[in-house]
Parts: sequence; C-alpha cells; structure tokens
Amino acid sequence: VSGANDYFAIFTLKSWILGWFLRIISQVTFFALIGTLLQSDEQTKFFLIGNAVMVAGMGATFAMNMTTAERGNGTLSLLLASPSRPVVVFASRGIYVMADAVFSALLGLFILGPAFGLHFPMPRTILVVPLTLLVGFSAYCFSTFLAGVILRRREITGLVVNATIVTLMALCGVNVPVSFYPGWLEAISRCLPITNGLEAIRAVIDGDSWSTIAAHAGAELLVALAWLTLALATFGRFLHAGQRDGTLDYAS
Amino acid sequence: VRAFLAGASIQLRFMRAYPDAVIPFFTAPMFTVIFMMIFKHAGRADLTAYAAIAPVFIALWWLALFNSGWAITLERWNGTLEMLVAAPSSFAATILGRITTTTMIGVVSFVETWLVARLIFGTTVTIHHPWAFVATVVVTLAAMAGTAVAMSSLFVLARNAVTFSNSASYPFYVLGGILVPVSALPHWIRPVSAIVFLSWSADLLRATLNSAPVHDLAFRLGMIALLGACGFAVGAWAMRVILVRVRDTGELGTT
Repeated sequence: VSGANDYFAIFTLKSWILGWFLRIISQVTFFALIGTLLQSDEQTKFFLIGNAVMVAGMGATFAMNMTTAERGNGTLSLLLASPSRPVVVFASRGIYVMADAVFSALLGLFILGPAFGLHFPMPRTILVVPLTLLVGFSAYCFSTFLAGVILRRREITGLVVNATIVTLMALCGVNVPVSFYPGWLEAISRCLPITNGLEAIRAVIDGDSWSTIAAHAGAELLVALAWLTLALATFGRFLHAGQRDGTLDYAS
Repeated sequence: VRAFLAGASIQLRFMRAYPDAVIPFFTAPMFTVIFMMIFKHAGRADLTAYAAIAPVFIALWWLALFNSGWAITLERWNGTLEMLVAAPSSFAATILGRITTTTMIGVVSFVETWLVARLIFGTTVTIHHPWAFVATVVVTLAAMAGTAVAMSSLFVLARNAVTFSNSASYPFYVLGGILVPVSALPHWIRPVSAIVFLSWSADLLRATLNSAPVHDLAFRLGMIALLGACGFAVGAWAMRVILVRVRDTGELGTT
C-alpha cells in the first residue's frame, strides 16, 4: 500500500502520458530508427523488441530510487524499529514502478511494433506478456540487491541507477545478439537479468520451438531467483553494518 | 565578470560534491560501446562518426537538463535565491556562470567517447574539416548554454518541471537526429526537428567528420546560433518574470 501511495503521488494520468509514456515511445523509436538507418527490417525488429523489453528492466532498476529514498525521507529509523522485515517493505515500495515499467514495455512493443512493420504471430504472442513480467521481476530482484549494496551511500544512488541501466542495455543482448560478445562477456551476460528472458521473447515472436522458449525462460527465472536470494541474504547485513558503524544516517 | 566567475566557481564545487552531476561521464562511454557494437555488428564502419557524435550530445543534453536546468530551482530550495537577488552582483551573470561551466565541462565527453572508440574498438575518429568542427562545437556549446538558460528559468515557472526533465531526453534525441539523421524521420515531423538546434548541430558535426566537402557551413552555423539565441531570449524573459513575480508577491522568502 505504501508503494502505491508513493507511486500515485509521483504521477497523474496526464503527466504519465505526456511525460513517462512519451519518453518510452521515443526511447524505443530512437533505437528502432537505427534499423531504418541500416536499411534492415531484421535489425529494426531486433532493436524494437530489445529496447521495448529493456523498458521493463529499466523501470525495475529505477525502483532502486524508491528504496534509498527511505533514508532521504527520514523514515528509515521507523522502519528499522518496526517488526516487519526491512527488505520486504523496501521491495514493496518499488513494485509499482516495476509493474508500470512492464506495462509501458508492452505498450511500447505493441504500439510501435505494427508502426515499424513488425508482425506478431497469434496466439503465441500472448506469451510475451508473462515473459516481460518475468524480465521486469528479474531486473527488480537485481535492483533490490544493488539497493542494499548502496544503502549506506545514498548520494550515489542516481549514479548507480543510470550506470546500471546503460550497462544492462549494453550487455544484455538488447542491441546486438549475445553471441556477438566475447565468450567471457557472454557468460557474464547470461548471469544478468533481461538477457535470457529477452531471448525467450524473441523466440516467441520468431516462432521458435517451445523447448527453446522454455529453456530461455527457465534460465531467466533461475537468474531472478539467484538475485532475489542474494538480495534477501545480504540486505539485512548491509543495513546492520550501517547501524554498527554509524554510516546509516537517518535523514539528509 | 566577477559574478560570472563566482557562479562558475560554485558550480565546480557543486559538481565535485554531488556524484549525480557526473552521471553523463559514466553513461557516455557506455552509449559509445552500444552504438559502436551496433554498427560493428552490422558491418557498417562507415557509420563510426554517427556512433562517436551521439553520446556527446546525450551527455551535453543531460547536463543541460539536470545540472543547468535545475540551477535556479536549487537556489530556491537551498534558500539562497533571496541572497542572490539581493546581492549587488548580477543575478543573471551568476546563473550564466554556472550554466556555462557545466556546458564547458561537457566537452570531456568528446574525449571519453573517442577514447572508447579507439581503445575498445580500435577505431580512430578522423576530423576531416578541423576548423568547421571547432566552429560547430563552439556554436553548439553556446546554443546548449542558451537552451539551458531557458530550461533553468522555465523549470521555476512550470509545475511539472520534474516530469519534464525526466522525460525530455529521448524525444529530443529523436527530433534532434543525434544518431539517426532527421532525413530518416517521417516527413510530417521534420518541420518540428528543424526548430530543434540539435538537429542542425548533429548534422553539421557528422559532416565535419566526413571527407566530403561541408556545404552551407555559414548558414548552418547561423541556424544553430539563432536557435540557441532564441532559447537564451526565452530564458532571459522568464528570469525577469520570475524576479518581478517573487518580489511583487513577496514569495521570495517563502519559496
């Protein structure tokens, strides 16, 4: 509930459409146009799908701002004193940002897809919806882990959020296939959120076999669970370490 | 001049103190990697100039939106606007000093971008028309500072400034043709692009990296300067409105 209140305090319908949504449509268009520059329908399709799905990952990463805002708002001390587990409250505060990002990603994909001549085979394309949700969830687990890491350094949140987004954009097969990377980088890419889920989504739209789709989706789920486990295991430690050494200032 | 230098000095201190101020210097190299990978994967080495220019514009625009754009608003939030307005020095000169400093620092992204292209992708960016290049960079920086003055003033007047600054990146990257030239956009949107100075700057900068002769250099430089000057004029007008309004209504001490 606190997350929903936060979220509706940030956006009205008008500011969402003219602000956030316009930005998302422009962002996906910006990359899809590279395909036009390259005069390649295949590339256009690749950039469009990759960057639309990336929106889900990007929004989930933005959620990091919501968790560290707890410190800035001076409510961290109350949260620490409450019987709830801080990581649960932190995770809930950003979940609406993630949900919005997934919704925006799907809107971007299904509005701009036809505009750029992309064909969505039905009914299998319906699978894109839960897969995009999986990508958003996976990126959200990763971002919650990072939120714990930087909890004691609130001043670098903006820097970490932005650097994380462009890094994921570069390393997760969003704009070039993962096979283009050197072997060691491909291995890292496979451990990051987005990569495997995006391949599953591409496989759905390309009409690949169900086993291929399941393998990619399974890998994304594994990655998401691994980051979630890491976040749950470390969040409390980061918090308590901050309490011990006094670096966890409660307001700024 | 002293007020201008004081503004420049305080801005440098702000940038050292707030890590958010250096975000574009982390993202510009990553955008270079992304664009270089795209063109390398597509086998289009001829588009290297495109990949080398776009991250610079992204960095400069980010600095204009988030650092310069928020200069006056931050003075209000910090409670220092009253002192600035009451001081005998020119308020506009101080703000201009801050904005110019931020814009000038954006030039670092040129170095970063081209170093990444060289060190990671082994690509050398060749400037085929050095004088035209320098002239374009100088006029572009001036236009960027002029636009930033407009943003800085308008953000105080606009209620949805936060939403605007968070959203005004990619729409302008598309309209400004910073990576994909405006000629690739649909016809109906090109007149809008024509009034965005980024579109003239990006086209001209790409042309200076191309071995073909640069056509209509003076006219194109003039258009960048004109659009930048329009931004500055809007900003100066809005700044006057703000000062008159806060003095008239007595809001200065309560904002």
